Amino acid sequence: MTLHTLNASPASAAFADCLRLLTAGDALLLMGDGVYAALAGCSHRAELDTSGAMLYVLRDDAAAAGVLDRVDGVTVVDIDGFVTLSEQYARQLAWF
Amino acid sequence: MNATDGKRTLVLIRHSPYGSSLARASVDVALATAAFEQPVNLLFVGDGVLQLLSGQDCEALGVKNLGRLLSSLPLYDIDHVYVDAEAAARYQLDLDAAPVAALPLDPGAMAELVSTHDHLLGF
Amino acid sequence: MIYALLVMSSPASGQCAMTAARFARGVLARGHSIKRVFFLDAGTGAGSATAVYPQDESARLQPWVDLAEQHGVELSLCIASALKYGMLDEAEATRYDRRRGTIHPAFTLAGLGQLVDAAASVDRMVSFGG
Repeated sequence: MTLHTLNASPASAAFADCLRLLTAGDALLLMGDGVYAALAGCSHRAELDTSGAMLYVLRDDAAAAGVLDRVDGVTVVDIDGFVTLSEQYARQLAWF
Repeated sequence: MNATDGKRTLVLIRHSPYGSSLARASVDVALATAAFEQPVNLLFVGDGVLQLLSGQDCEALGVKNLGRLLSSLPLYDIDHVYVDAEAAARYQLDLDAAPVAALPLDPGAMAELVSTHDHLLGF
Repeated sequence: MIYALLVMSSPASGQCAMTAARFARGVLARGHSIKRVFFLDAGTGAGSATAVYPQDESARLQPWVDLAEQHGVELSLCIASALKYGMLDEAEATRYDRRRGTIHPAFTLAGLGQLVDAAASVDRMVSFGG
């Protein structure tokens, strides 16, 4: 299973391509401009929810973006959580 | 370097050839991995499929012709070259005329391919 | 586990390059080792000894230097990318008739073979881009 990291706006080609390769059992960590894809109630978030992947968002980036209290259902992780995810998943793929 | 170590690398090429320096870097990484006799496969995804357009002529730009670079892939020991079938269709790409032969994959097959490699290098 | 990192993010744009440095520190804190951090494309700017960042922003260079000096982490700048971005060591500065080198001594210029070599032997390869 794969840990995907997305550092790009949900309006980007990187988001669309990531979504097509994301499968149940994978994890997706949203960082940088990717954190906006975590916004609850938005269409991009709905697309991520239907992928069946576990969803995570990087705390500092979400806080900077002002979305930290609007990401219900997505697990907020700090950098140590990111490291733990990289241990748990055999491979990582960066989308940007 | 131990060639028998056998970590399988998949290089994912996601950028069009002349819009960023990452495109050239991704092909160079794939070639270098093969040159050092490490198992490597190549997957063109999304806008990366635009690297497979035939007839690239960048002489006036004064940059390296990536299409020509790709046509040298068979000289290297790259195991397989794959292409995102949806993206290729979106741009009406003629894969028969592409600088390198690439096997088209649907999203499910691409996800499967990703899951069979040790390392993923996405550019 | 043994990790290698590939950093393509510019230190001058966005927070991803600094996320990579914090991730590296986190990896070591968890008891893992890092074989090498390889900087490619705009990521090579991380090694700049001459870039000056605003005083009200966090330091971009020091976190990497600390990783090298305190933990012995190898920091390799892709030479082809680095030269394009004006990142030269003293030898390259001499070779190309530039006045002086521009990279911090904690970093070394290296070919793509160093990335391949890292990938060949590590348990985890983690990339940072954009």
